[in-house]
This record gives sequence, C-alpha cells and structure tokens, in this order.
Amino acid sequence: MWVMLAIVGSAPDRRAEDQVADRAALARMARGDHDALAELYDRHARPVYSLALRILQDRADAEDIVQEAFAQAWAQASRYDVARGAVAAWLLTLARSRAIDRLRSKRARPDRAVGENAVDDVADRAATPDLQLLSAEQVDRVRVALRGLPALQRVTLELAYYEELSHAEIAEQLEQPLGTVKTRIRQGMIRLREALAGTR
Amino acid sequence: MAAHDENLDPDVAQALAQAVDQVDPPAALRDRVLRSVGASPSTMQSQPTMRERAAFPSWLATAALLAIAAGLSVYSLQLRSRITTLESELRDAILRADASNTQLADVRRTASDAQSAVAVLTAPDTARVELAGQTVAPQASGRVFWSRSRGLVFTASNLPALPAGRTYQLWVVTATGPVSAGLLKPGANGAVNAVFNPPGNIPSATLMAVTIEPEGGRSTPSGAMYLVGPAKGV
Repeated sequence: MWVMLAIVGSAPDRRAEDQVADRAALARMARGDHDALAELYDRHARPVYSLALRILQDRADAEDIVQEAFAQAWAQASRYDVARGAVAAWLLTLARSRAIDRLRSKRARPDRAVGENAVDDVADRAATPDLQLLSAEQVDRVRVALRGLPALQRVTLELAYYEELSHAEIAEQLEQPLGTVKTRIRQGMIRLREALAGTR
Repeated sequence: MAAHDENLDPDVAQALAQAVDQVDPPAALRDRVLRSVGASPSTMQSQPTMRERAAFPSWLATAALLAIAAGLSVYSLQLRSRITTLESELRDAILRADASNTQLADVRRTASDAQSAVAVLTAPDTARVELAGQTVAPQASGRVFWSRSRGLVFTASNLPALPAGRTYQLWVVTATGPVSAGLLKPGANGAVNAVFNPPGNIPSATLMAVTIEPEGGRSTPSGAMYLVGPAKGV
C-alpha cells in the first residue's frame, strides 16, 4: 500500500539540494573551474533565458542577457555572499537588471545597434537580502492568481515588474489616472501575496 | 530598491520572475557562455537539467495503479474489498490530476494572453479607441488598444448579459465595409477583457463597434450596436 502512495506522490522539492550544489559550484567557479559554470548553466539557463525573453520579447537580446548574467556570475563568484540567499534567485535578479537596462537603451535609441556589454558590475536592483527560490507549487499558485486578476490589473503589475515602469509611466502608457494605477498595483500585489501564502 | 520599485513586494517580484513561460535557450548558447569565460566547451558534457528530473506524471502513476488494481481482482474477497477502496481513491486522484492539467493548460494560455496584452499596450504603433454605449446599453463602455503589428486588446464594462444563442462581436469598420475582429462574452458582471490577433491586412478604419450576433458570429454585422467609437485613420 505504501509503495503505491510513493508512486502517486508529487515531485520531490529539490531546492535545498540544488542550493547546496549551486554554492559548491560557485566556490569552484571562484577557483577558475569551468565545469562548475557549465553545471550552473545546465541547472539555471532555462529560467534565466525565459525571464530575459519575457522582458525583451526578442530571442537574440535574451541570449545576450543570458551570456552576460552567467559571465557576471563567473566574475563575481568569489564575492558572492551566501547570506544573500539562493544562487538561482540571484541569477534571476542579474538577468532582470540587465534585461531592463537593455530594454531602456533600446527604447532611448532604437536605431543604435546594441553590442555586448562589458562584464561590469550591474547594480542589483533588488538589493534585498535573502532571495529564496519559490517552489514549483508556489509559482503555479501565483500563475493561477495572475490569471484571475482583471486584465488591466494584471497588465499594470506586469508593466511594473517586467519593464520596471514607474507608476507615472504606467499611468501615461495606459492613459489611466495615477491613483488608479497605484490602486491596481496594490490590489494585484495583495492577491498575489495571498496566493503565495496559500491563503486563497 | 530603485525608486521605480515602489510597492513591489520582493516575494511577489520573485514569483513574477519564476512565473514566466519557460522556454529552452538554443543549444548553441551554452557554448557561447562557456567560451565567453575562456572555457573550451567541446570537453564539457551537459549535465541532466532540472527539467529532466521533472515530476513523475500523476496520471501515468494512476493509470499504472489502475492496471495493478485490475490484476489483483482475480484473487480473494478480502483483496476485492481492498480494491474497492483503492479504486475510489484512484478516481479522486484522476480527478485531481485532470483538474490540474486543465488548470495548467488554462494558465499557459492565459499567460501567453497576458504577454500579448502587454506587447500590444507597449507597442509603438498602438492606437486607442474609446467606445461608448448606445441606446440599447447606455451604461456600457469599452476601450480598444490596437497595434497592427502586435494585436488588439479589448476591455469593456456593463455590457448586458447575453441571451442564449447570442454573442457580442467586435468590428473594425473601414471604407470597404466592416471586418470582424473577434467574438466577446462578458462575465457575470458585464465586463470583458480579451486579446485578439486581427488579420494584418485590415484597411484604414473609420469606426469600431460591438454588435450582438448569433452564437458563432457572422461575417457581416446584423444585430444592434451596443458600443461604438470613432477610429478615423486607425
């Protein structure tokens, strides 16, 4: 009986093991071990690429961002403070920072060809400590909650996150009053937080 | 956080980062990344990724268990009563698996709707058209954001509930006649949010309108107009 229960069980949550492996990989990267970077890439390239693609809507740009993010991880491996939380979450932060920078420079000068950035220290937007990766179940709950938001509330939240527009910029783009934009973000955030906490 | 991150809860931000549709990067990118830090990629084998350790599909496990349970039924009465209990548990498991599969399909579809909506709203060629409620629905209002390159976002509120066998239909009225942009079904509160991909060759518009039509829509409008708005040159 318990054998059958084992089969029907859900996917094991491997975040803790991956976190340990990621930190070990970073330590090896700091010593110049290329295999360690390959290991990190194999584990995390997909979510990093997917986020960059979502923000930039362009495959070539997204590929550039992936390369820059992992190159930065390589360059900063020795300086990474484990107190900052999951390496995977940090990689996503790097990807988002660089993607938004790229988005902004594309908008400012659409005719300018964008070359490869130097591997400089891109200031992390979310200097929040303790970034933790969410479980697949939590992410699914948030996706479902996003789906349940009224379209303009969802779009407002997404413009705030995926393009980092300010409230004023969103209000201008959607031609909505500033107060409405703030309310939509606040309401959307509350529902997504509830979804994360599993209280809905 | 930067000033722009006003009110962006870090947990929600993390969730939004992970909630995007997952797409595999091209195989060639791996070599490019490794070469950029001075490695020789040809010597490095790819390790199994997280994706290859994906969840054991619960429907497959359930199907396997059904087969096992069916085989057991040739044995004694004791086993048979055990099986009845198991079968009902399995039925519940199948229902749960089906529900979550539907949910995932819906979520994927809606996630790409949301991406299209944002693409439309941020496109450089997006035009906005305000639609006003007509005599049959004076409280209704609507708005269209139309980017010819990326798609059309439609929102409306206070549309009257549809009788059975009817649908609303959005039209782009051009000099050569009306072109259908899509079918609409309001929710219980009379609100509609929809994303469409109208054909790319629609001529320059003069008006946009929503009419009521038979279920399934028509190629030309026949019913009363509920929403109308000027769209000259759009």
